[in-house]
Amino acid sequence: MATDLTERVQEIAEARGIPESEILEQALERGVEDLWVDLVLSRYIDDDIDRETAINLIGRDRVKRAEQEVQVVEDDVRWGLNA
Amino acid sequence: MILAVADAGPIIHLDEIDALALLSVVDELLIPQTVYQELEAGMVPPALETIEYELVESDTTGLGVELDPGETAALAVASERAAVLLTDDLAARDAANDRDVEVHGSIGILVLASTRGELEKSAAAELMRALQTETSLFVTDAVVEHGISLLDES
Repeated sequence: MATDLTERVQEIAEARGIPESEILEQALERGVEDLWVDLVLSRYIDDDIDRETAINLIGRDRVKRAEQEVQVVEDDVRWGLNA
Repeated sequence: MILAVADAGPIIHLDEIDALALLSVVDELLIPQTVYQELEAGMVPPALETIEYELVESDTTGLGVELDPGETAALAVASERAAVLLTDDLAARDAANDRDVEVHGSIGILVLASTRGELEKSAAAELMRALQTETSLFVTDAVVEHGISLLDES
């Protein structure tokens, strides 16, 4: 895995013509953003924050998408438990 | 008695987490020829040969949906045979709901396998997490954890 990551960083840096350090910085920013979205959605789904707060933090599209996902997963779990 | 028809999504996703055999938890599994051809375009998972299924033709005439051919074929078969559509595609789920076709996906299969004694509840939870981390399934981390909490509470 570490080898894969190193090779990918090298390949991306070469393809874009920018230093590997910049690729790593961008990767860190994207990774933190993903983790932040997960945290906000988790708090929203657990009713720790309300809908408007979640929308203000990560945007309406992400919240609406998560709501759709929740509906699908709840439906699947209910079916699996009762079929 | 669960009669189900699968599109490529659950077959691929369950195979990616080494759980394709769990598709046999439904009583009868149908796979449209179109879906099988889609799998052949990549590689038919070898594990598919370990479970029983029937290859079926589909008539998509007049279905009027804008889905991939495999999803369309699976929806047509599910509608025609009053079967459960197994798909992990959100648009296909919407199309099925619009036509009153019962629709579920890979997560439902894992929970069903747990309910029917094919999996420990903890193993089902781990496989649900693997679906999120190791496949292209639509769900985010927070939603998977929500599903696992529902399973734990049951």
